[in-house]
Amino acid sequence: MTILDARGISKRYGGLLALADVDLSVAESEFVALIGPNGAGKSTLLNVLTGLTPPTSGTITLNARNVTRSATHSRIRAGLGRTFQHGRLFERLSVLENVMVGAANRPGRSDTALRKAALDTLGLMGLERFAHQPISALTYGNRRMVELTRALAGQPRILLLDEPGAGLNSGEVEDLMTRLRAIRAEHRLAIVLIEHNMGMVMRLAERIVVLNFGSKIAEGTPTAIQADPAVLDAYLGAGSSYAGV
Amino acid sequence: MADLIQLLTNGLALGSIYALTAIGFVIVYSATGVVNFAAGQFVMVGTFAGVATLVNAGWPMPVGYIGALVVMALFGALFYLIVYLPLRASPIVTVIIGTVAIGITIQNMALLTFGSWPFPVPSPFDGMMIDLGGTVISAHAIAVVIATGVLILLLWLLMHRTAIGIAMRAVAQDVKVARLMGLRVQWLLAFTWILAAVMAGIAGLMLGPMWFADVNMGDPIALKAFAATVIGGFGSLPGAIAGGFFVGLAEVLGASYVSSAYKDLIAFGVMILFLLFRPQGIFGEKIQDRG
Repeated sequence: MTILDARGISKRYGGLLALADVDLSVAESEFVALIGPNGAGKSTLLNVLTGLTPPTSGTITLNARNVTRSATHSRIRAGLGRTFQHGRLFERLSVLENVMVGAANRPGRSDTALRKAALDTLGLMGLERFAHQPISALTYGNRRMVELTRALAGQPRILLLDEPGAGLNSGEVEDLMTRLRAIRAEHRLAIVLIEHNMGMVMRLAERIVVLNFGSKIAEGTPTAIQADPAVLDAYLGAGSSYAGV
Repeated sequence: MADLIQLLTNGLALGSIYALTAIGFVIVYSATGVVNFAAGQFVMVGTFAGVATLVNAGWPMPVGYIGALVVMALFGALFYLIVYLPLRASPIVTVIIGTVAIGITIQNMALLTFGSWPFPVPSPFDGMMIDLGGTVISAHAIAVVIATGVLILLLWLLMHRTAIGIAMRAVAQDVKVARLMGLRVQWLLAFTWILAAVMAGIAGLMLGPMWFADVNMGDPIALKAFAATVIGGFGSLPGAIAGGFFVGLAEVLGASYVSSAYKDLIAFGVMILFLLFRPQGIFGEKIQDRG
């Protein structure tokens, strides 16, 4: 079953075509990676999908509902979750309060239910011991984990992760990958991963979508993408035959 | 000594009014980024809402107070819809001029409705005095200080123990991320304005019996509350409270021990010293630290 279906998404900023007729379809519990050089339009696509930026044209279907014109909060309620490139936690809220905000997307939850849901999600991620700490007391790696926990607390059906591995050391990346696999298996959660760490992308993703200059230039399995001449060209320049993308 | 206790009580009571006004100012500023120059008029409207329900309509005390606060909640919602929403994307100068203009409009609407003659406003403690072994202090002043303490506690519980309060703090810190967490940001901002208006309303109802209801009472309140937020730290709730009490005490003690002509000089002089030497105030972060 398709969770997210974006069709013919274009986004124009004045004379700049940031996205040109991009399609992205993600099935239930599928792991898709979105890659491309800097400025390829990956973050713009995430902003269009989450409703922060309206598309110039195209339609977005989420959980069989057309959400192209819907406000961000109703998309989040329809099952969308997102993390940020630069880990934007609420610095003046505690870890637990941050996760409570993530869980607050379901209306009609009592404060106690919200607190319990947040504590449960922290427990799931092995972070319960940090619940009452301020964000400033966390290591960088743990901040990224809290951000992931906050997004999970909203019980999304599909999670958009914007460079979750950025700034993590190799041990933390391994840990993150283990957690992502576990979360996905446990919650039948679809994941769209934007990541520059190609090792991570190749090991996690079932399907890779490659953007360049706002257009989709390739789509396929990690093996197929690694051998795709258009992708090699985009990353390494024309004529290259290097296969280690 | 007897005098001092009286003065301290009156100073704390007046400081309570300034603190509540400053709190309304700060919660609006942190959540919306709007410096509400009509904050003093919010208090004036609160006092006159009390005049309308308690004096003009002659409702009994608890009903009249509740009625006045319902009026204030509606006033806050209306201010959000008519003033904040159209101005929210405007440059800061436009917003400042906008809130100043709407403040003047509100003041003149009150003048047209109620006239320029000051009204006495009743208090449940009218004429009651508490005798502390020779020192007589006003029961109303004591009640104001206690009520303010309770309100501050309730506000703290709201902000730290309820989902809506935590969501409000999240919105105040990062609107974009709050929206991406599925929070209904517009509702939360509307609630912020309503909360600020109700706080101002309570301040107005408590101030009425101390000063008389006068359509010009908003400006001095706004200036003192502004001084309180600068001294306490712009954007800081504990700062608004500490600053409010400081300004109230400085005003009353200054009037008595220095000269009533110079009472405002102390509060504003201290504010200027803070702006020069400690612009972040007692509790505040540096303004440039705000993201």
